[in-house]
Amino acid sequence: MFDFDATLPLMAVQFLLLAVVLNAIFYKPLTKAIEDREDYIRKTENEARDRLSKAESLAKQYEEQLAETRRQSQAIVAAAQAEAQKISAQKIAEAQREAQVKREEAAKEIDQQKQTAMQSLEQQVDALSRQILDKLLVGSA
Amino acid sequence: MLSGFNTFNTFTLAKLEVGQHFYWHIGNLKVHGQVFLTSWFVIGILVIASLAATKNIQRIPSGIQNFMEYALEFIRDLAKSQLGEKDYRPWVPFIGTLFLFIFVSNWSGALLPWKLLKIPEGELAAPTNDINTTVAFALLTSLAYFYAGFRKRGLGYFKKYVEPTPILLPIAILEDFTKPLSLSFRLFGNILADELVVAVLVLLIPLFIPLPVMALGLFTSAIQALVFATLAAAYIHEAMEGHGGDEHEEHS
Repeated sequence: MFDFDATLPLMAVQFLLLAVVLNAIFYKPLTKAIEDREDYIRKTENEARDRLSKAESLAKQYEEQLAETRRQSQAIVAAAQAEAQKISAQKIAEAQREAQVKREEAAKEIDQQKQTAMQSLEQQVDALSRQILDKLLVGSA
Repeated sequence: MLSGFNTFNTFTLAKLEVGQHFYWHIGNLKVHGQVFLTSWFVIGILVIASLAATKNIQRIPSGIQNFMEYALEFIRDLAKSQLGEKDYRPWVPFIGTLFLFIFVSNWSGALLPWKLLKIPEGELAAPTNDINTTVAFALLTSLAYFYAGFRKRGLGYFKKYVEPTPILLPIAILEDFTKPLSLSFRLFGNILADELVVAVLVLLIPLFIPLPVMALGLFTSAIQALVFATLAAAYIHEAMEGHGGDEHEEHS
């Protein structure tokens, strides 16, 4: 069972040869493949992370722009509303003034006509009263 | 000794041949042919799997490439956990080949019916059930950790024998002998014992009963490969770092 002979050194040499051969056809190429893959994955991951951060910054920029635009539009709407209010107030004031003027004119005309009517009425009263007087005087005479 | 059973067994479904070898004579050297035949089979499997995995390397692995990458990542993790992130790379081929060779050897012994192939003398089995193989690996591990220690720390490597106290010097020296001894005998004993248990059970009850033991053998085989590779890595790490972490602080 324990007979040592030339098997031992030959097996050792054979083993070393196997290690050298496997190093050339197994360990080196596959180690290289594994490490290349790791590099590739790391590189791609970094790229993806870069792109993600870039996309995020872009999205943030767009959001800022959107908010800015919304603020501007609100300001424009508010300005337009204020202007419209001003115009409407102005128009209302103008109309009121005009109405006032017309009302005063009408009142003045009414007064004038009233006076003319009064005057003619007074003349008629004079004439009538003279006639009455004449008739009375004639009747009594 | 156990082959005496065969005389009672007319079918010879199984027989035990321990310590019989299929000798090849190279010059005036004797080698165990059956060990080399099965080890070439194991090497063939490893080389073919490696070539198939790396023939057309894709970024998204599939099939055999995926499987072999899984094996390689397992080995790298093993080496990394023992040797640390900084030093493990140069040792991956050594530790990985130890693991792969022992693992495939053990499982080929446990899964393939080697014994059905008749050879003139002895029988085919896992290469790791021959003491020569395991001692060869254990001695290579010893050389590897001496090499690692000297390369990392120069002659300062010898300081580890008198640290933390010179009283432990004999034990420290003894360790250099017990390490390969325990490594080789653990592997050899486990694999041989497993094959013997299966063989004995098959000899007694050649149906179904040996199956649980064979399943256990698969488990043991995998664990032994893992243990051998892990211990080899741990010894290398110990030689590079010295006892404790004090060397680390001196360097940094």
